[in-house]
Amino acid sequence: MMIVLSFVARLAWWLLLAPLLPGIINKVKAWVAGRRGPPVLQLYYDLARLWRKQVVMSTLASPAFIVGPAVAWAAVLGATLLVPLGPAAGATLSFRGDVVLMLYLLALARFATTWAAMETGSAFEGMGAAREVTYAVLAEAAMIAAMLTLAVQTGSVSLATMLAPSVGTSAVLLAAGLFTVLLVENCRVPFDDPATHLELTMIHEVMVLDHSGPPFAAILHGASMKLLLFAVLVTQSVLPMGTYSRTMASIVLLVGVLIVTVGVGIVESFMARFAFRRVPLLLTTSVLLCVFALLVAWQGAA
Amino acid sequence: MWNERPVRRVNTGWLVLVAVCCLLGGIAAARAATRAWLALTLTGVAAGLAAAARVLIGAGAWEWTSAMRVGGETLHLRLDSISAMFLALLCVIAGAGAVYSSAYWTDAMHPRSAGAGRRWWNVLVLSIVVVLLASNGVHFLLGWEAFTISAYFLITLDRDNPDVRRAGWLYLAVSHVAVLLLFTFFALLAVRTGTWDLGPMQERAELAPLFWLMLVGFGIKAGVFPLHVWLPSAHANAPSHVSAMLSGVALKIGVYGLVRFAGWLPTPPEAGWVVATLGVTSAVLGVAFALGQHDIKRLLAYHSVENVGIILIGLGFGMVATAQGYPAWGRLALIGGLLHVWNHGLFKGLLFLGAGSVLHATGTREMSRLGGLWRRMPWTTALFALGAVAICGLPPLNGFVSEWLVFLGLFGAVLSRGSSVWMAIPAAILLALTGALALACFVKVCGVVFLGAPRSETAARAHESGLAMRLPMLGLAGGCVAIGVAPLLVWPALSRAVGTWHGGWMDAAEPAPLMMLGAVQTGVLVIGGAVAWMLWRRVRAVGCVTAPTWDCGYALPTARMQYTAGSFAGIVTEWFAFILRPVLHMERPEGLAPQSASHWQHTPETVLERAVEPLGALVLQGAVAARRLQHGRVQAYLVYLLIGVALLAAVVLSGVSP
Repeated sequence: MMIVLSFVARLAWWLLLAPLLPGIINKVKAWVAGRRGPPVLQLYYDLARLWRKQVVMSTLASPAFIVGPAVAWAAVLGATLLVPLGPAAGATLSFRGDVVLMLYLLALARFATTWAAMETGSAFEGMGAAREVTYAVLAEAAMIAAMLTLAVQTGSVSLATMLAPSVGTSAVLLAAGLFTVLLVENCRVPFDDPATHLELTMIHEVMVLDHSGPPFAAILHGASMKLLLFAVLVTQSVLPMGTYSRTMASIVLLVGVLIVTVGVGIVESFMARFAFRRVPLLLTTSVLLCVFALLVAWQGAA
Repeated sequence: MWNERPVRRVNTGWLVLVAVCCLLGGIAAARAATRAWLALTLTGVAAGLAAAARVLIGAGAWEWTSAMRVGGETLHLRLDSISAMFLALLCVIAGAGAVYSSAYWTDAMHPRSAGAGRRWWNVLVLSIVVVLLASNGVHFLLGWEAFTISAYFLITLDRDNPDVRRAGWLYLAVSHVAVLLLFTFFALLAVRTGTWDLGPMQERAELAPLFWLMLVGFGIKAGVFPLHVWLPSAHANAPSHVSAMLSGVALKIGVYGLVRFAGWLPTPPEAGWVVATLGVTSAVLGVAFALGQHDIKRLLAYHSVENVGIILIGLGFGMVATAQGYPAWGRLALIGGLLHVWNHGLFKGLLFLGAGSVLHATGTREMSRLGGLWRRMPWTTALFALGAVAICGLPPLNGFVSEWLVFLGLFGAVLSRGSSVWMAIPAAILLALTGALALACFVKVCGVVFLGAPRSETAARAHESGLAMRLPMLGLAGGCVAIGVAPLLVWPALSRAVGTWHGGWMDAAEPAPLMMLGAVQTGVLVIGGAVAWMLWRRVRAVGCVTAPTWDCGYALPTARMQYTAGSFAGIVTEWFAFILRPVLHMERPEGLAPQSASHWQHTPETVLERAVEPLGALVLQGAVAARRLQHGRVQAYLVYLLIGVALLAAVVLSGVSP
């Protein structure tokens, strides 16, 4: 019974909490700009509306145009189930090597999304898909370096133990590196501008130009779950989660996720999107940050 | 109990005999009786598969010696779990390719070459069987040469085409460099051990330097970067079922040689590092070159370089672990590498057969002329997509299982804090990079070839291939799914192979939570399917209308306005321009009323054109210079003889023994 309850609670955390994050980011941006901004719950309203709307499909698209978003959503959900929520709660599933599975499930989501984008034959969507898979190359390298850092710090290859103990001296580097990966993987400023309406300059938004109705709802919800996943990862990899009590850990996790989200909003308020030529440079910086974190962790653990 | 062993031996032996006889019978029937050929070949590979399966499920290794002499050496055959792994792969791909070819390369379409193709197919399979079973250097070389030559005839089946002839010649020339090196290797081995018989000889430390000869010899066959120069053009120009065989099996026989002799012979201490470095280089540069290709089969060929790289990363770390005494992660890496041999055979076979169906239906391998094939070829599209997911190493298919095992091995190497960490960290990061690049490449292939709108008339008129071409693809796809969702099934076989490779690693417990992984992969498959079904039903419930793709207000979109393969890979090819050296041709529109404008980009065979061909030209120049020595003047020849005799006398008198 407890197992079922905790599973339901976890699902609720990932499924219900996730759409809150984009709302918070938008609210922060509005505050900084001195606007009222959309309500924090805007994405929930959007999802509910999209779920009831009719679908418009491109004449060129195959059934995989619908299957793609579904697979992407399921893959992100699968990845979230591997991420522990604090040391006491742990992850739904935990085994040696689950960290690699998490990374590759996110890659599966990328494959499904970009496949669906290529369905329409639109040059815009092709461009977005090309950018998405290209930037992911460097983001993937940074992620695996970050995960190696955590593995070296804890001597473990399982997320539940990798994220639990207090961190070493590399925390600042790791936080900076992972936060940059969060920004690129979730298509935020300075890599991508989720608010822009110019197709040529977008990555994620341009890939989903032709999606509508329930599949578009799945895409938006999946994207918000991915954002929450990265926020949870960043929080847990830099905070000494293992040293807190059960309730304390949950509160710390919530506050941490909130801080990361507000941080994304502040970055978006004060930075402009980079020119595409400079994006790989910043991404390489994030790879280097993670590699330096790894080297520092190596020295610290020796 | 005691009389069980001989009985078992006889069984495996009989199966091998049946396999060989059926394949020989197939050669006889190849020309005239197509159906008989197919039946005999399929029976043969089924028997071979059964023999391999018997060894792999634990019936023990099969060994057979006979007083009969072939090439002056007594016949000595051995089928242990390492050779059985490769034999099983050979049989699966040979069977699938045989069925496929019966519809793909028919007598009606290729009256001159179809019969020869069937005959050489069986010769190729038989000679690979000889290579795998031979336990004697002479027989190994005989089988190897027959394998090389029969593959040449299969590659050049369509020899009216000059491209095919050029690819075949390159293959033959480069393969014979490998043969020469292997001949030297086996000869030196025989000189130093006093026998051509092969077997474990780890205690003979003085044999270690021979490893380098063998590494280059087998590395050429395996297509390791930068020895892969023969591979792209041969794979691209061969008939597709032959490409599947070359990529799925022939490369793996190179890997087999490396695995076999790295296990039997002592290796130099730095051997593991070199193999792992070669593996990482092949993986990253293989996929980088693949991204630059516009020819679908050449692209797949470069992905073979990448995947052989992943296999070598596993083997290299296995060797490092053996040298340094870390069984735990060494086994994981080696098992990952060996499983990738199977996996790559399955999904690359599937992808080449899929590419063959596309070629069959449209008559072109040029991706910029394809597009929108899913509507006419739904089966091929779905199966190719499955192969793409598998080769990108994505869950829930088999590619992920082997890459995951290699990753676990690398993480283990990092955590062991030994000196191997300086190789393991870059290898892990670059392996992740490779995975992401492969994903980019296959989104490009699938998107450009199968999705969107047809870019040419031929693509618009494509037709789905027949059952005989779909069935082998279905079978290979089934293998990809089976290993993906139930990796525990192949565990005993892999464990035995690794135990044969390194005796000390035999009985250790299952090193990784494969059961859990299988359950999770099944879960991903089931949940993904269920979510897709639910979303589909929801879309049906709310209603769905179709409309043209959003064109940004521009009302006259043509198929040529779609994103092309070149532009899709543009950013990455720019990153790797230092090695890819892409050739760019650009004619800008100029003037008030521009008449014409064009732009094309092409990635050449950089290693071949910039390294091998200049080297070859140098050798030819040297040969031309040396030809001056032969001019027909008898007096000068007598001087040569005199100088030769004097040199020999000097050698003998100075007391240097040969």
